[in-house]
Amino acid sequence: MNDTFIISIVTFTYFLAAFVFLISIIFHKKSVDKWALIITVAGLMLETSAIIIRWIHSYQLGIGHAPLSNFYESLVFFSWSIILVYLIARKRYQNNLFGLLSTFFAFLILAYASLSGNVNCTIQPLIPALQSNWLISHVVSSFFAYACFAISFGTSILYLLKIKMKMSILPDALFLDEITYRMISIGFVLLTLGIITGAAWADRAWGRYWGWDPKETWSLITWLIYGAFLHTHLARGWRGVKMSLVSIIGFIAVIFTYLGVNYVLSGLHSYL
Amino acid sequence: MIKKLHKLFSSVKLTIFLFLFLAVTSIMGTIIQQGLPMERYKSLYSPSVFSALKFFNIFDMYHSWWFTTLLTLLSINIIVCTFKQVPRIIRLISPEKKEIDDTVFKSSQIRKTLQSQKKLSDIERQAEILSESLVGTPVKTVKNDTIYFLAERGRYSRLGMIFVHISILLILAGGLIGTMLGFVGQMNIVEGERSNTVKLFGGKGTEKLGFHIRCDDFTVEFYGTGMPKEYKTDFTIIDNDKKITSGAMKVNHPFIYKGLKFCQATYGIAGVSDLLIGVKNNKTGVKTALKPGIMKKVPLPDSNASFAIAKFVTNQGGMGPAVLGVLLEPGKAQHDIFWIFQNGHNINQQQKSAFTFTLDGFSRLYYTGIQVSKDPGVPLVWIGFCLIMIGFILSLFFTHKRIWIRISASQDKYEISIAASVSKNRKTFEEKLEGLTGKITVE
Repeated sequence: MNDTFIISIVTFTYFLAAFVFLISIIFHKKSVDKWALIITVAGLMLETSAIIIRWIHSYQLGIGHAPLSNFYESLVFFSWSIILVYLIARKRYQNNLFGLLSTFFAFLILAYASLSGNVNCTIQPLIPALQSNWLISHVVSSFFAYACFAISFGTSILYLLKIKMKMSILPDALFLDEITYRMISIGFVLLTLGIITGAAWADRAWGRYWGWDPKETWSLITWLIYGAFLHTHLARGWRGVKMSLVSIIGFIAVIFTYLGVNYVLSGLHSYL
Repeated sequence: MIKKLHKLFSSVKLTIFLFLFLAVTSIMGTIIQQGLPMERYKSLYSPSVFSALKFFNIFDMYHSWWFTTLLTLLSINIIVCTFKQVPRIIRLISPEKKEIDDTVFKSSQIRKTLQSQKKLSDIERQAEILSESLVGTPVKTVKNDTIYFLAERGRYSRLGMIFVHISILLILAGGLIGTMLGFVGQMNIVEGERSNTVKLFGGKGTEKLGFHIRCDDFTVEFYGTGMPKEYKTDFTIIDNDKKITSGAMKVNHPFIYKGLKFCQATYGIAGVSDLLIGVKNNKTGVKTALKPGIMKKVPLPDSNASFAIAKFVTNQGGMGPAVLGVLLEPGKAQHDIFWIFQNGHNINQQQKSAFTFTLDGFSRLYYTGIQVSKDPGVPLVWIGFCLIMIGFILSLFFTHKRIWIRISASQDKYEISIAASVSKNRKTFEEKLEGLTGKITVE
């Protein structure tokens, strides 16, 4: 079966999961919770199989490589990472709103990948610069970091809604603040790992570990913003609204590192 | 004054300010392209904007005086803050004193006092379970009829923060060494030729290597789509006119010699060699093959005319590779100059010419683009990278937890005092403690 077709089913599945999470939040139905989780897990399994099929398919085409090498593949992997991070973190933070957020983000990303005209979903061969053992570790650590930041962005928005709009349907503000902090601290470590693996790769490919290329610089800008966040949290005890704002600014930097550099600026990372 | 400076540099406010200031200013360098020749910038900006940007060294801002100053301030900030923490951390990670200090029950972050009328052995057992499930196996001590249970875990996680800060300093130091003692540049070498000159990036002149590198052969493979699949340079290092070593360099597979790193970066077409031109004498119908070099006149067979190639072009007018041929016939006032293509089309050739030419063969002469870099700071940076990950793992996945439990008799019941400290996740710890202490007091 065609992997892009499976991805379109997965897109729908995540939408359905988000919808069921929403129902369980509105109507406080415990029995519905279970279904939301089952649909999410099914979506993740389908998506995993699509990624594997695409991987195998690339080998059949004689241009075998991990499906992490163009914009479409990175979007699919991004949504996959968000759901995986959610399912892992769920053990500690069981809350349906957290589920709604993650599935909705995953849905949005996949919908963009499938429906937007400027995302090419064909399997392309790897240019020489991308033929490296560092590809997988660099992309995996970076996108897991992005996934953590996406979730913390969501919880920060909810936190602000909770505080400013006093929406009673939202979970406890302290709970949201806690998830934001945990996700950012894990994301920060993964981002650091992503930058380090990228540096090791750049050193092999271009003979320098750091060259102030726009993508490199933007990843540093992101790192500095979240680094400032962690310092204000740990050393100065900032909580609440101020933290949420820093977290939102940090995620804007993430989006710019991921997309803006490719669309707006030019550099060595033009292939993503 | 010194006190004020010390206060400034030991403040986390400064760290946060520097982080955010570095982040905001760094954006500039991603919008304004770095390291272009000055003439380009002059044509892009008005004279006043240009001189302002030049004053702040925006065209190479990451190596500018003010950016370096910011990084230096950050380094001082990190050093001062880390040193301030060192005594406390040494105290925390050095083995616990044998004597029990009762002040912890008054001063520690987390404190709790309970009363129980249960049997002493039951209380002891529950204290053990409590410390086991919250921290770790406790050590029991008895002093003046008072029983103490002490447990500690994850002491060395306290080092995580120190490791992270030291590693940032190492990375910055490595970067500084690289900028001062290293260089990055490129050398383009045509197949068969050799070079010892590296053109440095950012218009910083050239660097002579103490040896030559010769490009023996360059090969490139393409996918069906026309994208390059692999390209590689077969090279020889020639030091003092002696061949030292030969090898092949591919993208992502650099070669290191005398502390210099050579990376296959790019390639291009330098020209053409082995040109093969077919000539047909239109009168006799005889075809012959010519191998003229560029700008070398060759006589044409069975005639007194001669022929030369002025230049080779990879794609002339969208019709593919072509050579510009010059036909010299005695008795004609003007040379006949025309394009010769592979399919035999001769553009601009005079109609009544006695010869027809075709471009029968040629081989492209490539040049290889090798990026050359020297960076003695790299080992420090790698140590920094390893240390930062160790530091993160220590502080993220391990928590320093301590618990002190004191059981003392007071009249007909026992008083149980609990003190604990955790380096993080205090809320979760307190919730757990609350749940467990409930069990002790329940009759």
